[in-house]
Amino acid sequence: MPAMLDSDPVEGHTARAFDVALSELRLHLVSMGGLAIDQVATAVRALLDNDDQLARLVLSRESLINDFERTIDREAFRLIALHQPVASDLRMAKAASRIVIELERVGDEAKKIARFASRLASGEPQGPVRAVARFLRNMADLTAGMLREAVRALDEADPELARGVTSRDKELDEEFAAALRQLLTLAMQDQRFLSATIDTVFALKGMERIGDHAKNIAEQVVFVASGEDLRHMKKAGARSESNSDPLPRSPEEG
Amino acid sequence: MNVKAAVDNVNFYYGDHRALKNLTIPIADKQVTALIGPSGCGKSTFLRCFNRMHDLQPGTRYEGSITLHPDNLNLIGPGVDPIEVRMRIGMVFQKPNPFPKSIFENVAYGLRLRGVRNRATLAEEVEKALRGAALWDEAKDRLQDSALALSGGQMQRLCIARALATTPEILLFDEPTSALDPIATAKIEELISTLRDQVTVLIVTHNMQQAARVSDYTAFMYLGELIEFDEAAKIFTNPSKKATEDYITGRYG
Repeated sequence: MPAMLDSDPVEGHTARAFDVALSELRLHLVSMGGLAIDQVATAVRALLDNDDQLARLVLSRESLINDFERTIDREAFRLIALHQPVASDLRMAKAASRIVIELERVGDEAKKIARFASRLASGEPQGPVRAVARFLRNMADLTAGMLREAVRALDEADPELARGVTSRDKELDEEFAAALRQLLTLAMQDQRFLSATIDTVFALKGMERIGDHAKNIAEQVVFVASGEDLRHMKKAGARSESNSDPLPRSPEEG
Repeated sequence: MNVKAAVDNVNFYYGDHRALKNLTIPIADKQVTALIGPSGCGKSTFLRCFNRMHDLQPGTRYEGSITLHPDNLNLIGPGVDPIEVRMRIGMVFQKPNPFPKSIFENVAYGLRLRGVRNRATLAEEVEKALRGAALWDEAKDRLQDSALALSGGQMQRLCIARALATTPEILLFDEPTSALDPIATAKIEELISTLRDQVTVLIVTHNMQQAARVSDYTAFMYLGELIEFDEAAKIFTNPSKKATEDYITGRYG
């Protein structure tokens, strides 16, 4: 039987227009992913370097993320209407609709961090941020790494790479908890920084949320590849539950 | 699954050519099973085994068994009368093929063959079959009109009514909507969905969406072999075999 290309799951359709529609959908998702990664990295740099210009750059690019969201949503919708995808193609169309939401939320978190960076540059006390700078940097490295690998797994249709992302969430949670303890100690020692402390907690929480979004994206990549639903699976052994289901449960609310 | 017909290791030969290879499939009782696959994969050949259509062609040969439950009749067994088989297994073809008779006589034909003579019984059974085929409302005032005056979709439903009149246990459909427009197609699909309450349905279709819409189970065949058989929802969302995936997503050929 003539085979599809193993290396690229969106190609090989007899109807070339279908190949083109699926390729464009994925290309736009990956491009949006690249922009989201850069938004996060820039926002964190703005925060740590006290750089208002970088913060403004992030805020000015927010509209690009929103444009991507609308475009990709429209493309996924059209793909379903015009090509009636089934099996892995259907899973891709459905996952795209989900991934675009995750990436848009990543953009929102970057925007919030950038706004905070702007406030710091305009005179908000910097003590709390300085106190947890090491954690912020670690968490930024972790989230950026997770996000980068999730997007690369999507680009390369690599479920194994995606599985690696889903397992790194715990590390991020631990960093977040340690940073919170540090901030709490600071807040108890000096209550003048309460407002800035709360903002810093939000920045840390934003970072932790970005890690969650990266994990959700990675879960969608696994779903596209195999139909397997990894959501809310704490242990590897629990996987068999979804495998026994004749219908793959699509990762929806993650 | 409650099995109506157990297909076990069926081989079928046109002369020396082996068209079906070791097919083993359970046909679920009062459910719709769709057979899909590219042209020449043997799905129509397989369908025609069920009512012994191949017997009309010399040089053909069956192997294996298709056991009809509950009485364990092997439909392709050498000692089994094909006429008896066709009484129990109805068939609807790609192109509607009503007899050049009245609507009433088309439906009554099988009943008359069975020796039903009583006019009241005939009228009752014809009405029941036409209702079952969702044609009664359109045909009740013109039962004596020629069947050939009906539209394509109506003719196809008449053929379904004709098949239903003899209360078959399995109804075979060989691409029943490929000659129909979308509205007539939707009516036939809706009819097939409702038929599962009374009869086991086996349908050959080239239309993937149709197989997904109407069937409970789907079998994908290729070069005379069964590649994959599963619940339709599984086949169309996450098939197990790559060949199935390639075919249903349009990557074949």
